[in-house]
Amino acid sequence: MVENNEMELSEAEAEQYDRQIRLWGLESQKRLRAAKVLIIGMNGLGAEIAKNVILSGVKSVCLLDNEKLKEIDLYSQFLSPPDKIGENRAEASVQRAKALNPMVEITTETKSVDNLTDSYFTQFDVVCATGLKQEQLERINNACRDSNKKFLCGDVWGMYGYMFADLVDHEYSEEIVQHKALKRGPDDTEKTARETVSITVKRRAIYVPLQNALSVDWMNPEMRSRLRRGDPSYFVMKILLRFKDEYNRNPDPSKRKEDTAILLRMRDEIVKELSLPANFIVDALLQDVFGTVSGAAAVIGGVIGQEVVKAVSQREPPHNNMFFFNPLKCVGFVELYGQ
Amino acid sequence: MVARVAGVFNEQLTEAIANSKILVVGAGGIGCEILKNLVLTGFPSIEIIDLDTIDVSNLNRQFLFHKEHVGKSKAQVAKDSALSFNPNVNIIAHHDSVISNDYGVSYFKQFNIVMNALDNRVARNHVNRMCLAANVPLIETGTAGYAGQVELIKKGLTQCYECQPKAPQKSFPGCTIRNTPSEPIHCIVWAKHLFNQLFGEEDPDQDVSPDTADPEAAGDAGASALSAEGNTAGNVERKSTRSWAADTNYDAEKLFTKLFGDDIRYLLSMENLWKKRRPPTPLVWDNLPGKDDAPIQHSGLPDQRVWSVHECAQVFASSCSALQKDLKSRPEGDHLVWDKDERSAMDFVTACANIRAHIFNIPLKSRFEIKSMAGNIIPAIATANAIVAGLAVLRAQSILKGEIENCTSVYLRPKVNHRGQLFVPERTLTAANPKCYVCAPKPEVGLACNLKALTLKDLTSAFKEGLNMQAPDATVEGKGLVVLSSEPGETDHNNDKTLEQIGLNDGCALLVDDFLQNYEVRVRLQQEDEEKSWRLVTDADTPMPAPKEEEKSANGSNGGSSGNDPKPGPSRPKEDSESDMEIVEEDDDEPTMKPPKRRRTAMSDEVVELC
Repeated sequence: MVENNEMELSEAEAEQYDRQIRLWGLESQKRLRAAKVLIIGMNGLGAEIAKNVILSGVKSVCLLDNEKLKEIDLYSQFLSPPDKIGENRAEASVQRAKALNPMVEITTETKSVDNLTDSYFTQFDVVCATGLKQEQLERINNACRDSNKKFLCGDVWGMYGYMFADLVDHEYSEEIVQHKALKRGPDDTEKTARETVSITVKRRAIYVPLQNALSVDWMNPEMRSRLRRGDPSYFVMKILLRFKDEYNRNPDPSKRKEDTAILLRMRDEIVKELSLPANFIVDALLQDVFGTVSGAAAVIGGVIGQEVVKAVSQREPPHNNMFFFNPLKCVGFVELYGQ
Repeated sequence: MVARVAGVFNEQLTEAIANSKILVVGAGGIGCEILKNLVLTGFPSIEIIDLDTIDVSNLNRQFLFHKEHVGKSKAQVAKDSALSFNPNVNIIAHHDSVISNDYGVSYFKQFNIVMNALDNRVARNHVNRMCLAANVPLIETGTAGYAGQVELIKKGLTQCYECQPKAPQKSFPGCTIRNTPSEPIHCIVWAKHLFNQLFGEEDPDQDVSPDTADPEAAGDAGASALSAEGNTAGNVERKSTRSWAADTNYDAEKLFTKLFGDDIRYLLSMENLWKKRRPPTPLVWDNLPGKDDAPIQHSGLPDQRVWSVHECAQVFASSCSALQKDLKSRPEGDHLVWDKDERSAMDFVTACANIRAHIFNIPLKSRFEIKSMAGNIIPAIATANAIVAGLAVLRAQSILKGEIENCTSVYLRPKVNHRGQLFVPERTLTAANPKCYVCAPKPEVGLACNLKALTLKDLTSAFKEGLNMQAPDATVEGKGLVVLSSEPGETDHNNDKTLEQIGLNDGCALLVDDFLQNYEVRVRLQQEDEEKSWRLVTDADTPMPAPKEEEKSANGSNGGSSGNDPKPGPSRPKEDSESDMEIVEEDDDEPTMKPPKRRRTAMSDEVVELC
């Protein structure tokens, strides 16, 4: 839980954060200023999340990545300059990350998540993971959960993307607008003016860990009834996580044809395993999942960035617990899985 | 230059991107994000236009700019930063207004897609017309707080930006501002008018003295005051506020005594006004509330503390003297322009609004709050801009892929709807309004006015402000007689003549065109004796419902429309709101087949109507 830092904002902070303070309030900004955030995976999505979180004015951001910068990263990963190809992606991103907001402390970690202990992750208030395998995500999620730390993860494949959040037991305040009739005085015969009053209410949201969300029993009637709503995005995520698991990589643009065939085969397997309706997951959804499309990274990175702000500021209802972006319909929606 | 790695997109899209040319209008919050996405995706040829320079308060979201860029051209710095992501792209930056002869129809025609990332209606209207004239698809974007939207505008396929009447600018009756304020905003409007009276461009519609023509006050005891001091114009007869203030050498105590003492006592003499209202209390300069108060502990930003009336008077004095100095240092005849980011100007308005609020028993506000209201600030954040810009570029890709029919409007909601949707696409493209006075095959609109009173000069402003033209020319239909020419000097001699005097009568039609916008509209004149100014009459005139309250709070804005007269009246757009947005709203409650309702709300400057 991020404690509200009682120190007042400096004049420079007040000036730079003026617009967002007008939106989410000073209290939120103070909470943001005390928050330590870890961002795992300096791919296109990681860069987008980092940008949004750094701009929001958190205390510190640690960029964690053990991979080298490749050419393919450059068409979505704007924090690393083109001349740093071959260097560690986190280190290649530091300079630009710092320039985004010199008031935020930026550090890097170049070890693989597998070589870091659980206590490494729990030193942060919020962990955002991208580009990992399911098993790695679940391990870090559980470590965070045990220490009551917020965990978010997500990925962008081509134009498609998802987000998962486990904010454990999350308390937040929400502004509710109420209408009130106004009377200026006992003899006021003028039209009674209506005034909108916003009141703040405290709320609480209970989350489940990633493994629950990913191991939903689709035979359960309640879950089956969801299929009727008809968006297959959850299963696209399942297929892509399975691909990553089996091949230890994401679908490769240079192997577009072969990888599409693999994805379609995996799609058929999943349809069979979960007894999904035929044609539920259309081919077209699996044809735009190559590389990271900058626009999609911006969209998912924007959603995740805003959820980090909500998680830290404890203001406004956060998404519980998955968000999907379906590029075919340009629809983005939130659904709760695994509860 | 190609979309950078083969295989990310199918061949058709890769090819289309490689051959594309895109114009981005605006390099603010959304513009920066759009430019980044285009450059990274490998769009090879981009032009970006913005007339603005970088301010510190931009840095929390306009991430292509850093502290060292403050004061520099947004377009130029955005270009330089974006090139560092991908030096192989060709970007041309224009530090310029898009409303200029340099960007005519042929300029717009060279682009495959135009992407709007603007913050004001005037420029949006203009680009809308240019894209209609050039027949280029326009992707229109906007955000307000957590909300936003992306909309395609394409001639013959969708509605245009001006198909639906916009919510009018918020306005208050002049007598409310001058005589009977009841809300903080009334005092803020008054204070801004006072600023203009003393230091800015003097505008007779912004009088700050008691209005003796107030219909409510008429025929009461105040009438004695009226006959003694008033004139028929309804203004107390005395020198202009500015020359009076100059005569006193802007003496703070004298100004204070007049504005917050004498004028209030004068208002008190208009007894009818106070029969059902709590009367105001005149103030005395050297005996103000809060004078001897010990400073109270305040947590929060310094600007969030509400000043005592005594402090307001001190700030009034110091800001007056600073502003007077500024005014004096300028050439004769020059004036100041109110700007929320100018310390003294903002201090002055805060102090005056609060002193007046105290007099009328209205709650006082902090400088922070008053800045939001006086400056029409719609808060903008990085994440909403990133999402909207991302969606806009994905829509641009669809257009290039040949799937323009699928590019329905998409709304980013501040909170998910009942179906859990955060980004809500419309099911179908929204068809054009056949009666639209901009994009209909034969655009037509009525202009209601009093032909005996409206002058040619007023008519020019009706065309400029009401019809958003830049340089209107008008001829009488069927006669070819030139009534109004955009060439300087050609019709200026008629400026002060009424429409009747130049031979125009009820029912006669003018053909009005704007060469730059390649836009012509037939304007029918309608005589209305009662109309004090002018207003547009469209066939589709149905009152616009007031915006949902939910939306207001979601926008964090204090403006929006309030179910007033829906017609775009003689509003004077002054400063535009400085957010990256003006449009948000969508109604998606139940899945229905009827065209989705949609509404635009604008945070806009107040307008004072004469009453």
